[in-house]
Amino acid sequence: MYYGEFKAPKGVIKVSLALTEGVISEVRISGDFFMYPEEALDELERMLVGVKASRAELSALIEQFYEQRHIQTPMLTPDCFVEAIMTAVGR
Amino acid sequence: MEGWRVIPLRIDDPFCSMAIDEAILKLNSEGKSPNTLRFWRWQPSAVSLGYFQSMDREVDLQAADKYGVAVVRRLSGGGAVFHDYNGELTYSLVCRQDELPRDIMESFRVICGGLINGFERLGLKACFAPLNDVEVGGKKISGSAQTRKWGSVLQHGTILVDPNIRLMFELLKVSPAKISDKFIASVYERVTSLTRELNKRPSFDEVRDAMCAGFADSLGVRFEEGNLTAEEIKLAQELKAKYASSEWLNKR
Repeated sequence: MYYGEFKAPKGVIKVSLALTEGVISEVRISGDFFMYPEEALDELERMLVGVKASRAELSALIEQFYEQRHIQTPMLTPDCFVEAIMTAVGR
Repeated sequence: MEGWRVIPLRIDDPFCSMAIDEAILKLNSEGKSPNTLRFWRWQPSAVSLGYFQSMDREVDLQAADKYGVAVVRRLSGGGAVFHDYNGELTYSLVCRQDELPRDIMESFRVICGGLINGFERLGLKACFAPLNDVEVGGKKISGSAQTRKWGSVLQHGTILVDPNIRLMFELLKVSPAKISDKFIASVYERVTSLTRELNKRPSFDEVRDAMCAGFADSLGVRFEEGNLTAEEIKLAQELKAKYASSEWLNKR
């Protein structure tokens, strides 16, 4: 398992994940942030499984997640989640 | 905005408090509970985790066990809070979404305005520190968290009366090496309390009354004292099992 934290302007995003040949096979996101609606984080975790752990692919997926689910994360941007995942995989 | 209910100061078990929050939120969204302000103290003392936090990562469970401190997971996001029975008062406000700005930060600002007005009544000049804190002299004296469900809003938060900071850091997983006198001193630079700012310890009733008047003034509402309804108590009793379950506690 890989683990990383990203300290955003407000809050810390903590990510633990497993990779299989560069693709996310398991991921758990936690932290002291706010996300509305809250249940959407489970969905994001499901969406991330099967995705290549590259900045470009993660960024596209997380932007799409925000748009489709009308996600609000006050004082956090989609990029903060990308950074947290990239930190976990050590890049 | 009028006809809000304020519930007399309660002392509740941590799982029960969380269940009451959800019961009022749910019934408010169904038009069965009025907009409500509630204050309570936690017995036993407890750490409340934000909805997205991992219990294992944030709380030293051995320390919690040693000091008889409970651990609960909130319905709201945000960070872990130590609710010290002897040094902390918690507020919770539930109202219809349309009473508040849609923008989340603005709605935090509006509700925190009630606290700021209350701190002024106690003799302190406080201000809103986005996203979810209230500060006195640049130091945190209150932190809040908010969730929105089914068309209603629940915002709850801590009012620091005289918290045990050292115990707080024994319970929360800051690397043990960091809990030095120097670290504790740095916390005193960032966090304060009513007792420290006023040079005397106000009673819980005094704080509750000031905050209640502050909310009434700042929100422009009139509060009527009222207890929980039979329906709220029944629903809270049902929901309590969820909050006490290891599935909920270990959700992340």
